Parts: sequence; structure tokens; C-alpha cells
Amino acid sequence: MRRLLAVLVVVLAAACAPVPSGAPPIGGGSPVPPRPAEAVELTEPPSTADVPPASCDPTASLRPTGPLPPPGQMPAGSTMAQIQARGRLVVGADQNSYLMGFRNPFSGELEGFDVDLAREVARAIFGDPGAIQFTVLTSEQRIPTLERHEVDIVVRTMTTTCERWQKVNFSTVYLQAGQRVLVPSNSDATGIESLGGKRVCATKGSSSLANVAAAASRPVPVSVTHWTDCLVMLQQGQVDAISTDDTILAGFAAQDPYTKVVGPQFAAEPYGMAIPKADEDFVRFVNALLERLRADGTWARIHQRWLGDPPAPPVAVYRD
Amino acid sequence: MLVEARRNRGALRRVTGLARSTPGRLSLLALLLVVVSLLVGALTATSVQRRSDALEALADRSEPLAFAAQEVYRAMADADATASSAFLSGGVESAALRGRYEADVAKAAAALSAATSEITRSPELTEALSTLSGQLPVYTGLVETARAHNRQGNPVGAAYLREASALMQTRLLPAARELYGVETGKVMGDLEDAGSLPWLELLLGVLVLVVLVFAQRYLTRRTNRVLNPGLVVATALTAVSLLWVLAASLLVVYNASASKNEATLVDLLARARIATLTARGDETLTLVARGSGTTYEAEYVEADKVLDDLLGRVRVLNPTPPVLEAAEHHGRWREAHREVRRADDEGDYTAAVALALGRDGQGAATAFDALDSDLVEAIGAARAELTEGIGRARAALGGVVPAVVVLALLAAAASVFGLWQRLKEYR
Repeated sequence: MRRLLAVLVVVLAAACAPVPSGAPPIGGGSPVPPRPAEAVELTEPPSTADVPPASCDPTASLRPTGPLPPPGQMPAGSTMAQIQARGRLVVGADQNSYLMGFRNPFSGELEGFDVDLAREVARAIFGDPGAIQFTVLTSEQRIPTLERHEVDIVVRTMTTTCERWQKVNFSTVYLQAGQRVLVPSNSDATGIESLGGKRVCATKGSSSLANVAAAASRPVPVSVTHWTDCLVMLQQGQVDAISTDDTILAGFAAQDPYTKVVGPQFAAEPYGMAIPKADEDFVRFVNALLERLRADGTWARIHQRWLGDPPAPPVAVYRD
Repeated sequence: MLVEARRNRGALRRVTGLARSTPGRLSLLALLLVVVSLLVGALTATSVQRRSDALEALADRSEPLAFAAQEVYRAMADADATASSAFLSGGVESAALRGRYEADVAKAAAALSAATSEITRSPELTEALSTLSGQLPVYTGLVETARAHNRQGNPVGAAYLREASALMQTRLLPAARELYGVETGKVMGDLEDAGSLPWLELLLGVLVLVVLVFAQRYLTRRTNRVLNPGLVVATALTAVSLLWVLAASLLVVYNASASKNEATLVDLLARARIATLTARGDETLTLVARGSGTTYEAEYVEADKVLDDLLGRVRVLNPTPPVLEAAEHHGRWREAHREVRRADDEGDYTAAVALALGRDGQGAATAFDALDSDLVEAIGAARAELTEGIGRARAALGGVVPAVVVLALLAAAASVFGLWQRLKEYR
């Protein structure tokens, strides 16, 4: 009897089961959020140099040989004389870091702290800050471009590290930045230590990305091509935080009032201008120029223009 | 049981008896001729009707859908190129560029709804179509976000534009390309079908004629009369029907194969126009990237090569004035592009941007606009030819179906009449 009942139930259920409908379903119901091109969530730390860097003082650069030659009269045979003969200084710069190096959307011109300093280098060689050609570089492109000698100098929020010193030369430090964290203003995060398991954005090939990957709290690093791609992903809720130098973060905060910079500086990021390894005379020339800019108040004026009240300029350290 | 068997045998004997007597044979022959005439008439009419329906589907659905797909693809590629141009021009974008972008988006959405309305015809396109209709609003949203940031002077606007462009290049345009490829393939397939030779119709017509000739010979042997007027009329009517179908079908075949050439031409021109837009987009993006745009320049070179090849093939097929002018304007654009690259590589970025956006005589934008409007003109002309050819093919089949039916009925009637004349003699 019970078996009969069970059979009855099965038959009834089969009879009442919905008839498969022949109408085609509506596709594409789930949203696919857009992403910046080449945005990648890293599963392992970014690759570092093959050769472990020798311990060094990354901030120490080559000492100037003397006073600056007058503009337009570069010593014969020097790198500066070649640049002068070409008629323009080729500078690797950024157009995506607000306040440091960015494209002014109204004029289309590059502007910012780095850009103004690069113009000072052009002024020292030619007497004309406009004798300059900008090549926009991503973080990752900086060292290869210098190694191929396609630019004379890179002025692009570039941290001096011992690892990079093995491939390029740096000027003395022109800005002392430090890595911090930017989060949405409603976030509870207090710094890199509270971002364990969260997605944190930085550009590919930057020291910031390496620092995020090495953080003890083990956040998930997300690498993008340009710095502003990080802000896009933060605004679209695709990352939880951005971590890089406070100078760049200040630029983000200025573009989006619903963000805040939190936590202490957890890595020092001294900026230097990078120059091809072979051009040591140019390094000494730029260092002499930086000495003058620090001394005559030009550095403070440029800092005031972009980054606010100037602190004392970074002290030059030399390795001779 | 026994009764039924006997009755069956009786019926059989009646039929065989009928077949054994001459009047009986004549009656059966009349029946056979009527059946063959009517059956073949019906089959021929159906076959002609099917060909006519295929042409109608081609004219009313496949061709318009292929055009809609082409518009989706073209409008989206143009929207992307225009958005980057507007960004490059800096500050407040020009009303002309903004207008062009808005027209593109409107066109893409309208063409997309036309393409989507026939989705049940092409279930394989479901995914491409849902990508297109799902991601187009996302794309426009990103472009508007980019604009809003640009107006506030935030460099993040450029990043939104890059994201929009990546979405266009990696998701929307591939889906549009797929849609366009499938719909164009359908037009080609339909034309192929319509242009096949009418073997079935010919075979059936010849079959009727053969049957009629055999009937005539049989009668000649039986009655010693050379010609039977009824059968002669039936033969003539069948021959007229056959020739009519043959002539109309050959006209269709001729027009369909001409239309196939036009359809190929439309396809080549449409692809040339899309290559033009791609190259223009890459040209501007190279400048937007400012020195880090070597991949865009490589893509420009690639698109330009494709464009050159397509224009060359079009010129061989159809050397009309707009096509020749397009080739000339393409040459001028190449020159302008070289100038743009030279200025940019020599460090004169401002001059490069001015040359790229320049709408005076030498600018790349002038040559691009001229090339684009040449292609629009050439596509319009080729498409008009194509639809006209399809129209001519349809007109050739007009009236064939009723004519075939009427002629078959008349031929059947004439056969019966002719045999009735002989049958009367046995009364």
C-alpha cells in the first residue's frame, strides 16, 4: 500500500512538473564590470632583479665637478653638448599623476612638480624651458627606455633603490616621499596593516607594488598600467585601497573628495631623476643644477606651486 | 471472406478489361495526362514560389539585417575614434565632434535594435547581441564619466576614456564583427541559393513533354491520324510554360550573380570604412598616449595596410568616381599621417596634434573626412545596385506561379479534349 502511494506521488509529481518551455531565455543577465586594460590581480610577488642588489646608500649620487656652465655653452664632447646639438631635451615623464606629472585637460599640456623640474633642466642647458620633448612612460617602461637611450632623463616619481642603481644612475634626491594608503572615506582601514586579504592597487613595475606584495598583512596586490587606472578601479569598487607615495596619493585625494589617506609612511620613497648609466657627466651636471635650485629658492617655489608649503629641501648626499 | 475476394477479383478484372480494350486504354491515357500535367504544374509552381520567397526574405530581412549589422559595427568604431579625438582636442570638445559621437551612439543603438529583432533567426548570435546591447550603455557611461572629470580638470578622466576604449576594443567591436560576419554570410548564402540553376523545374517540364510526345505517337499508331489537335495544343502550352519558367529563372540567376558581385563590393567597402575608422582611432590614440603609443602606431600601420588592400580590390571590381577619389584621399591621408608622426617624433607635440586634428587643407582630419565621405557615397551606390538587382530578380518571377498553374490546367483540359475526340469514335 505504501509502495503504491509512493508510485502515485511520483506519477503526480511528474505530471505536475513544469513543461520545458520552448521560448529562448534572455541572455546576458549578469553584469560584467569593465576593467582598465591590463589590470591584473597578482597571485605571486612581482619579479625582482636577478642579481641580489649590493647593499648601498641609494640616495647617494655623483658629486658635481664644478659650477654649472652657462646655458647654451655646454662643454665640448659632453652628453649635454650632444643634447644641445639636438636642440631639445628628451624627458621621460608621466601624464597620469595629478600634481606631479599630468596632462592638463584644458590645455593638453603636461604640468606638475616633476614637469617643472624637468623644464629647469632644459633651461640650464638651452636657457629655454620650452626646448623639451616629453615621452610619456609607464612605471614599467622607465628603466628599459633609459637602457635603450631613448630618453636623456626620466623625471617621473622614481624612487632611488639599490636594485635600480645597478641599471641606471640617479641624481641626488629632489623630493622625499613615503608610501601610504588611500581608501574610500567610509572605509575602516587605518593603514596597510589592516588591509590583509583586501585588493590594493599599484602600477606594474613600481616600487609601491613590490612593497604592497611584501607587506606583512598580506594584501592582494592588483597591478595596472597607469596610476589613474588605480583611481578608476577604486571608484568602481574593484579595489579596496591604493598604496603608493604620498605625493601621488595627494593627487588622487584632490580629484576625489570621497577618499582619505590613512596610516603612517611605511616605506621611504626618495625621488631621484634617472639618467642612463653611461652619462655620468650629465648626472654631475644635474646635481649641480639641483644644488642651485635648492639654494636659490626655485625648488621651494615649485613645491609651493604644486604640493603646498615647502619643507626644507632634501639634503644632497654624494658617493663621489 | 469469399464474397469479398470475389468482389476484388471482379474489380481487378474490370480494370484489366478496361486496359485491354482500346477505349479503355484511351480513357486511362487521358487520366494519366491530366494527372501528370496537374502534378507537374503544382510541383513547378511550388518550386518557383520557394525561389520567390527566398528572394523576398533576402530583400526584406537578410540584406537589411546585414546593413544594420554593418551600421552597428561602423557606428561603434566611429564613436570610439571620435571620443579620443574629442579628448585630444583638449578642454571643451568641439560641438561637431560631440555631435558626431552622439549620432554614432544613436545610430548604433537603433541599428542594434533592428539586428536584435530577428534574433530567433540566428540563435548563434545570442551571445554577441547580448554583449552588444549590454555593454553599449556601460561604454557610454564610461565616456560620460570621462567627460565629467575632464570638465573638472581631473586627469582621471583620461583613465576612464582608456577603460571605455578598452571595453570597445576587447568586447564590443569583436561582437559587432561577429554579427556583421554572420549577417553578410547569410546574404551571400541567400544569393547563392536564389542563383542556382532551376534543374527541378526543367526536369519536370521535360517529363510532361516526353509523356505528351509518347501519347501522340501511341495515338498515331492506333488511329492512323498524324496529329491530334488537343495533344498538340497541350504540348504547346506545356512548352510555353517550360520556356517561361526557364527564361524567368535564367533572369533570376543572372541578377543574383550580379547582385553577388554587388554584395561583395558592399562588404569590401564596408570593411574599408571600418579599417579607416580603426586607423583614425589609432592615429589619435598614439598622440593621446604621447610617446608611449608605439602599439597604437603599429595598429595604425596594420589597419592602413588592410585599408590599402581593400581599396585596391574595390578599384579593380568597380572603378567609379567615389572609389577613385577614395584612393586619392587615402594617399593624402597617408602623407598627412607621415607629417604628424614626423612632428611628434621630432618633439613638436603641439604641431603634431594640430596636424592630426587640422581641418585646413593639409591636416589628417581633412583627408580622413574626405575619405570617409567617399566611402559613404560608394557604399550607398553599391547598396542601391544590390537592392535593385534583388528587386529585378523578384520582378522576373512575378506572375510565373499563376501562369504555370493556368497553363497546366489548360494543357490537362486540351489533352482530355483531344482524347475525347478519339473516344467518341468508339460509341
